[in-house]
Amino acid sequence: MATMDLFTNRRRILSIWLPRLPTDRLTRKAGPKKNCAAPDKPLVVAIKTDNALRIYAADRKAARLGLKPGMPLADARAMIPALEVAEADLPADRALLENIAQWCDRFTPLVALDPPDGLLLDVTGVGHLFGGERGLCEIVHMKLAAQGFIVQCALAGTAAAARALSHYAPGTIAPPGKEDEAIAGLPVAALQLNDAIVHGLKRAGLKTIGQVASRTRPELAARFGKAMMAHLDHALGKSERPLSPLRPLPDFLAEHRFADPVTAQEAILACLEDLAAALGGILEKNGQGAREMTAVFFRADGAVRRLSVQTGAPTRDAKIIMRLFRERIDSLADPLDPGFGFDLIRLEAGCAERQGGEMPDFEADARAAREVAFLVDRLAARFGTQRVQRFVPQDTHIPEAACAAVPAQYATPPKTAWQIKRNVSEAPRRPLRLLARPEPIEDVMALAPDSPPRRFKWRHVQHRIAHADGPERIAMEWWRHQDRMPARDYFRVEDEEGRRFWLYREGIYAETREPKWYIHGVFA
Amino acid sequence: MNYAELAITTNYSFLRGASQPQEYAVAATLQKHYAIGIADRNTLAGVVRAYDGFENPKLPKDKPRLLVGARLVFRDGTPDILSYPADRAAYGRLCRLISAGKLRARKGECHLDFADLFQWHEGLLFIVMPPEKFGAETKATLELLTQIAPRRVWLAASRLHRGNDRKRMRELQSMADSWRVPLIAVNDVLYHSPERRELQDVVTCIREHMTLDEAGKKLEVNAERHLKPPEEMARLFRDHPRAIAETIKFADRISFTLDQLKYNYPGEPVPPGKTAQQHLEDLTWEGAERRYPGGIPDSVRQTLRKELRLIENRNYAHYFLTVHDIVRYANEKKILCQGRGSAANSAVCYVLGITAVDPMQIDLLFERFVSEKRAEPPDIDVDFEHERREEVIQHIYKRYGHDRAALTATVICYRPRSAIREVGKVFGLTEDVTAALASGVWGSWGAMLKEHEVRQGNFDPRNLVIARAVMLANQLIGFPRHLSQHVGGFVLTRDRLDEIVPIGPAAMDDRYFIEWDKDDLDRLGIMKVDVLALGMLTCIRKAFDLFKRHENREFTLATIPREQPEVYDMLCKADAIGVFQVESRAQMNMLPRLKPREFYDLVIEVAIVRPGPIQGDMVHPYLRRRCGQEKVVFPAPDPKFGPADELKQVLGKTMGVPLFQEQAMKLAIVAAEFTPEEANGLRRAMATFRHVGTIDRFREKMIGGMIRRGYNADFAERCFKQIEGFGSYGFPESHAASFAHLVYISAWIKCHHPAVFACALLNAQPMGFYAPAEIVRDAREHGVEVLPPDINFSQWDNTLERNTCGVIALRLGFRQIDGMSEAQAAEIVNARGYGYGSLDQLVRRSGIFKHTLVTLAEADAFRSLGMDRREALWAVRRISDVKPLPLFAAARAPEQAREDRAALPAMPLSEHVLADYQMLRLSLKAYPMQFLRAKYDREKILSCTQAANMADGKFVRAAGIVLVRQRPGEGNAVFITLSDETGILNAVVWLSVFERYRRETMGARVLLIEGRIQKSPEGIVHLVSERLIDRSEDLKLLSENGPTATGPIEPYVPRHPRNVRVLPKSRDFH
Repeated sequence: MATMDLFTNRRRILSIWLPRLPTDRLTRKAGPKKNCAAPDKPLVVAIKTDNALRIYAADRKAARLGLKPGMPLADARAMIPALEVAEADLPADRALLENIAQWCDRFTPLVALDPPDGLLLDVTGVGHLFGGERGLCEIVHMKLAAQGFIVQCALAGTAAAARALSHYAPGTIAPPGKEDEAIAGLPVAALQLNDAIVHGLKRAGLKTIGQVASRTRPELAARFGKAMMAHLDHALGKSERPLSPLRPLPDFLAEHRFADPVTAQEAILACLEDLAAALGGILEKNGQGAREMTAVFFRADGAVRRLSVQTGAPTRDAKIIMRLFRERIDSLADPLDPGFGFDLIRLEAGCAERQGGEMPDFEADARAAREVAFLVDRLAARFGTQRVQRFVPQDTHIPEAACAAVPAQYATPPKTAWQIKRNVSEAPRRPLRLLARPEPIEDVMALAPDSPPRRFKWRHVQHRIAHADGPERIAMEWWRHQDRMPARDYFRVEDEEGRRFWLYREGIYAETREPKWYIHGVFA
Repeated sequence: MNYAELAITTNYSFLRGASQPQEYAVAATLQKHYAIGIADRNTLAGVVRAYDGFENPKLPKDKPRLLVGARLVFRDGTPDILSYPADRAAYGRLCRLISAGKLRARKGECHLDFADLFQWHEGLLFIVMPPEKFGAETKATLELLTQIAPRRVWLAASRLHRGNDRKRMRELQSMADSWRVPLIAVNDVLYHSPERRELQDVVTCIREHMTLDEAGKKLEVNAERHLKPPEEMARLFRDHPRAIAETIKFADRISFTLDQLKYNYPGEPVPPGKTAQQHLEDLTWEGAERRYPGGIPDSVRQTLRKELRLIENRNYAHYFLTVHDIVRYANEKKILCQGRGSAANSAVCYVLGITAVDPMQIDLLFERFVSEKRAEPPDIDVDFEHERREEVIQHIYKRYGHDRAALTATVICYRPRSAIREVGKVFGLTEDVTAALASGVWGSWGAMLKEHEVRQGNFDPRNLVIARAVMLANQLIGFPRHLSQHVGGFVLTRDRLDEIVPIGPAAMDDRYFIEWDKDDLDRLGIMKVDVLALGMLTCIRKAFDLFKRHENREFTLATIPREQPEVYDMLCKADAIGVFQVESRAQMNMLPRLKPREFYDLVIEVAIVRPGPIQGDMVHPYLRRRCGQEKVVFPAPDPKFGPADELKQVLGKTMGVPLFQEQAMKLAIVAAEFTPEEANGLRRAMATFRHVGTIDRFREKMIGGMIRRGYNADFAERCFKQIEGFGSYGFPESHAASFAHLVYISAWIKCHHPAVFACALLNAQPMGFYAPAEIVRDAREHGVEVLPPDINFSQWDNTLERNTCGVIALRLGFRQIDGMSEAQAAEIVNARGYGYGSLDQLVRRSGIFKHTLVTLAEADAFRSLGMDRREALWAVRRISDVKPLPLFAAARAPEQAREDRAALPAMPLSEHVLADYQMLRLSLKAYPMQFLRAKYDREKILSCTQAANMADGKFVRAAGIVLVRQRPGEGNAVFITLSDETGILNAVVWLSVFERYRRETMGARVLLIEGRIQKSPEGIVHLVSERLIDRSEDLKLLSENGPTATGPIEPYVPRHPRNVRVLPKSRDFH
């Protein structure tokens, strides 16, 4: 049969529709644990359109209760108070669809996305591998259903026909060349034309695709346009259109094929270096730099290994790229196994960004900053992104929270600049060293309500205070704490030996009569 | 220790301060400040509230003085300057200054530069507020300011608690010394008590559109910016005692107080050489002769004399002349209008043409409504046709000028819903959660979010974040959010208005409004005239126009024949769809019970279905007395305290039951011995938000007072509840009388000329309670022939035409078609000539767009060309959108090749009906439920009328389309109106049933209800629901004669709104 298809040169398209993809994604994620939380609650996914939250997708339970996409969420809640609502996450849906598409690789290399919730597989000539087209449909259906998806499939000679069938007559396999008969009985909505055309056809009493197809071409073209005619022809199997491939093509790539598969590490690295240089040239010609490089190693036996490195700033410097790949390959827990050798190595550049031409460095600062960036990239390639961190200032009054450590590679320019806490004429307002944890001090003598201490004892040593300034009153971030947090009165003090400390009293006089005292830092 | 806090920011510096002006007044009094200065950001919006706050009778006698000022915030980098006028003239300049800043900005903003002070500084005292890190900008300001205003400049010193206070204070002192200005202590207060810090943080976040986590240093570092007692301030400034003493000196320099604002009525309408009173009297007698051409009846003459005397005593002539002037303009322009309000129902107003309620017809004693002691201005609101009110407004601006006429402000406050939504955002709750919390609040007028409402949204009130958000939202409720223009309250003055209060632009072009709302104006005794819009007046004017065109009869509001029994007969039958005020379901239930037979009955009818009488449980006692089931007795005090008939005068006209607001107030005075001032205070406490504390006090005084004097405790309780119910929707008798007059007129038109009525009502849409479908159905039930819209017969408006038998019929206009444009309709009408003979002629002569043609075809408006909807659509879709080529146009030949007439399948009637609803929201061909009738008959489901005709107590199953869903207030029932081809049926769903069938109740378009019929003796029928079934799916049977989808899942139907709206959505009132 497969050979027959090839001879007649007819393509065969399998349409897979996942009508409840957004809710399936969530219930799958929740897994069996979901039972304990809210097993019977209907679930909907909501999205904000035209300034109102509307239902974007409903699970089977919600659908059975009459909730439909497009319905305002407020109405739905008024109907069913015990409704579980998640916010729509279109990128996650898309990512899931892409994952399913990759999984579909096993049936055919030609997989296309039919967003937002469908896939199109060109299964021309592959049916026999799975016990015929019917068998193929059943396997797809079964496996996806076992994964927790609601699935509808149909197979026909064109994408439009297959899609129409999967939505309105799932399970149908239209015999080659009989697409028109197969879809004749479907409602016109199955053509997935724009709403105005569907409405116009319905108003004319043409409610099925068959009824539409029975009108003369000039009649239809004059009213609904040529594009509609082309689409109709495609659905009826009278014309074909290619599928667009799934994996988004990399922005730029360079590849090398080997007549004899290579196995030697040096040869592999040398090839990679050539590719890096070639790719760098392409990038420069385009005025671009890449923030992600992926080396793809195709093994002769069909296995594919992908290795990626990222950079903090867009780059196209072959040396830098190679240094990163070396670090990456060196640190692989599971080494690059060439097996019987690689017959193709490809280097892809992703996340390309505009990068100006190389400018000579006049400023040492810029060079130093770039040196740091290179170091960060190298360290990150070796130890992992999360383990190379950098301090960034935080926008808060709380001293110990004033800075945070974040992965250095991703450190975006901070929202707040480092604040200068010291005027030239003034003593510093923050200590050079902040203790990791404020330490209680004892034996404090201070006048109520807000005078600085006269003496205190810290780590068994008595300090008599000669000079003091303050208080600086800092209230805690009340919304972060369950209980009421006392405010702090900070004092800068200097003892008789000239040592300077940063002390605070926890609890201002109005809050507590028995305050606790702490030391929070030492000045130089 | 003496101290005056001079830098107070209230919550009228919108989203900056966290306390109400009144709260400051109380706190400052208790802390014994010498004076307090309210200085909000470029505004005086909160000062009257502060002034009012000191009136709190619970406060000790010894009160701080109130200093009125503003914190001037500049856009040119000048530090903030607190400005306090020393005298009345300087106050005027401060108003002018702020107005100038507002006029150059958009609504709600104020753009000031330091240079503005050169013009307006005289008599103002200035306190310069240095920023935290001050420097050159403060020096420059001091330099300039000390030059233009020597000896009127101070430098503020505040303790910031930033660890360097002592040093900063020294630096400030030395700066003050070098410019020879005194240092003055302030605490730059943002809230009255330290507990408000949380709310302060929240409003900051709302203002900055941030969550608490994001706001960081935008929030204050500590809770120190609260009003501090003088002793504490003295301690904090112990090193600078002169700065404390300076506050007293500063306060003593100010002699201005708000009560110095004197109001002057505008003098325009008085001709030279006459006093206002003379002029008013002349106009009155002239008018009286016009009103009573047969001679002025003696009683009227007497009343007029009495009223004129009163007006003279109170010096109100200007006020009446001003209102008369506006009304006269409207009359000249043939704009219908009618006055209402306490002074409106005077004989003087009637003869001046301000109202049309004949004083002969109803005995409303004018002086009863003018409070005896207060010099409060009288109150007249004038309603105008809603479509033409703008003309009146522009006339007022033209006549008085923008600096003497402006709209009142409305303070937009946080309500429970908006509060929880905004606070939720600040806490980082997702929109879904806040929406759900907010949707738990039915009706947005409550004063508090209650725990059960939080639970209703499926949230645990013990969840910390939710609990905090709810707690802070509750604090935020009642906070002003921004100022907006009042719908129509005008303030007119003789002197410049912008020297009394700042004026700023509204969002609409050419509209300006002041910073005070009506309560503030009331408080200061400033007159305002409400120029309001009323849809029913538009409808009545359109009806009058139709009378003139089709019957050649001219009417005015005063010349409609009065007291016709057939009009009352109609109302008694609750045949009142479209009639002003009495068309709601509650009113329609009341009509057969109250059985109005004369004008005053209508006054009561209008007033009785209101929260006041309902919450006070006054409705049933009144009805029982009216039909003689209960004796009319007047509640009486213990003989020890007063005569048994002391309430007879108050409640005489309403059979001993208080129904109107002024009766309730009078009752407080007579039965609970309130002074008139106290009664007035009570009314205002109810009307304005958040007088929680004061309300309790009034409650005790009223109920306690009545019981003490021997009144029945239950009656006392109900009287107070009634007053609570009046709240901000107080309904005095005089309002009711004016409204009742329109009730009668609209009922008269409906009764005698149903076609005119329906036509005018449709042309005045949107207004009223019913959708066009119900208006048309009602007209047809009253024997009016209604014709569909048609390209050859319709105008834009609905029109009347003589049908073939010479009877007047209603022709639907193009305005009833969804998506039709008025301009395109005009093209059709203008090019129509003797009519269009073909589609081709229509296209060529009118030149309308293709999409208009499609819309018309969708609306089935081509019948006169022999084409039904389907044929017409098929034909117009073929027309190309571009204008025909000149060559073809000249040849008048069809541009496209001929096409054989296509035989399309015939469109079933049911589909036509659905399409009619989609385009017109009604169908003249049939009613959708008709197509389901056979099916429902088989299922033994009754029609609405069948069900309504069943005996009381009978169990029935009835179905219909859901017309209205209503859940009044905190009510324990949901009311549903079902309708079908036979009529309507009112169903009640009690709360227990509602909870079980919530989904069906809230979601169904077609609803099957099983329950019992309940009939009242007056014949009012309710279906008491026991079970509800959503039958909306049946509607698909009307259209889906084609194939239906197969497969496990219903297909995604394209979500074009037109496909979704199979039937117009029911009107739901929450």
